[in-house]
Amino acid sequence: MRIRVDTDLCSGHALCAAMAPELYVLDDVGYCAVDGREVPEDLRGAARKGALACPERAITLSTD
Amino acid sequence: MAADLFGGSEAPVIDFDVFKATTRAESNESWREARRMGPVVRTNNHDGLWMMTRYDEVCAAFRDWETFSSARTNPELSSVAVTAGPAPLLVPEELDPPEWQGYRRIVAELLAPHVAESLRPRARYWSNRYLDKVIGLGRCDLVTDLAVPVPAAVIMEFLGFAEAQWLPVATVFHDVSAYPPGHPTREEALPRYAGVLDAVSDELAERRTRPREDALTTIAQATIDGAPIDERMATLLVFMVLGGGVDTTTSLVSAALVHLEANRALRDELQDDPGLLTTATEEFLRYYPPARTHTRTVASDTTVAGCPMRAGDRILLSEVSANHDELAFDAPHEFQADRFPNRHVSFGMGRHRCPGSHLARVEFTEMLTTVLQRMPDFEIDGGGAVEYPSWAMIGGWSSIPVVFTPREQA
Repeated sequence: MRIRVDTDLCSGHALCAAMAPELYVLDDVGYCAVDGREVPEDLRGAARKGALACPERAITLSTD
Repeated sequence: MAADLFGGSEAPVIDFDVFKATTRAESNESWREARRMGPVVRTNNHDGLWMMTRYDEVCAAFRDWETFSSARTNPELSSVAVTAGPAPLLVPEELDPPEWQGYRRIVAELLAPHVAESLRPRARYWSNRYLDKVIGLGRCDLVTDLAVPVPAAVIMEFLGFAEAQWLPVATVFHDVSAYPPGHPTREEALPRYAGVLDAVSDELAERRTRPREDALTTIAQATIDGAPIDERMATLLVFMVLGGGVDTTTSLVSAALVHLEANRALRDELQDDPGLLTTATEEFLRYYPPARTHTRTVASDTTVAGCPMRAGDRILLSEVSANHDELAFDAPHEFQADRFPNRHVSFGMGRHRCPGSHLARVEFTEMLTTVLQRMPDFEIDGGGAVEYPSWAMIGGWSSIPVVFTPREQA
């Protein structure tokens, strides 16, 4: 599973990181900075929670 | 029916008027009716306004900043709110890209999530200090004794204003936010904006010659595309941070305190399980959006839900209606403290999304936690809580008199 962030849509709400800080790292102004990151098996639930929290629906999870 | 200003469109017409007194219940009910009529309705008041009622259309319009512009068409008048007269330019809210970019970056860095988190101890400190003043008395007003002064203290201390300036500035913004255009309290406060702008301008001038370790210095020394920030724009940017950062959080805290006073079971749940406050905060935001509506200007002809909009038309986006949209939320009229996901639109969407949201959440949770810990049995006293006289643009409570078991200071 891989994190895909639509960086046009991401507007820096930072709720992905609020839900799953171990996975969603923000840049210095609060935009999601982990486009393309591989999700470890044990963090799949956290990945889904972070993606669901995004108000812009900017995060999708792909299974390559 | 009044003259049709909309060129024969079929959109239903409603009597939305920012200047008319409305209670929260009346406002919510009128939005419920508006949603039933359609995703786009219109009013002939305020020189004619399209009004978007549903979540999908509101979010799409917020995101499409090119079609639905935030830039001013009249340099004196607000482009993002219905107002009765001249208002200072909001920087960066009333700028569109590319000009928006440099100013937005400054504010976004200033109020980034990690900065907001670093201010949590100050939010906790000021929540406790202001409650210290009243905790032994057994009675206070949670708006004037807590919800107004704490957000002002946190942001103005961070910016670098002297303590004597905090409350006078907060009061100006509170009086403008809490009362609708035309209300005497608001009209008396508006000229005091000039005094706030002068004070900000003086502070920034001083930081340019004598830099300090504060956020005003960061702003005074900021550059945009390699050039020093324009002095007038720097003043307006600080003014926006104050205006956006002071009374909106006041409004949200007031709403949550009134809600918790009436819902003892939820108060108990939050005291037993502080972790619930994370989702409950989003639900307070959804249920009681401080900024209930914003406006935009149509920049190029477009059609939304079959309604033809022409360049120059004004539109009103209803955050409160979007947040209560039956098509977007399960049981939207129920307050569900554990609601998840909760993609409310209370901080807006897209480029102009509120950059102060991170600090707002920090301040809100610290104020609420402090009240729940130190006056867990607070009850509304006397004549009861007083709502803002109009809920058309901004909602909240201007007075929450309470009694509680007196305690010694922390």
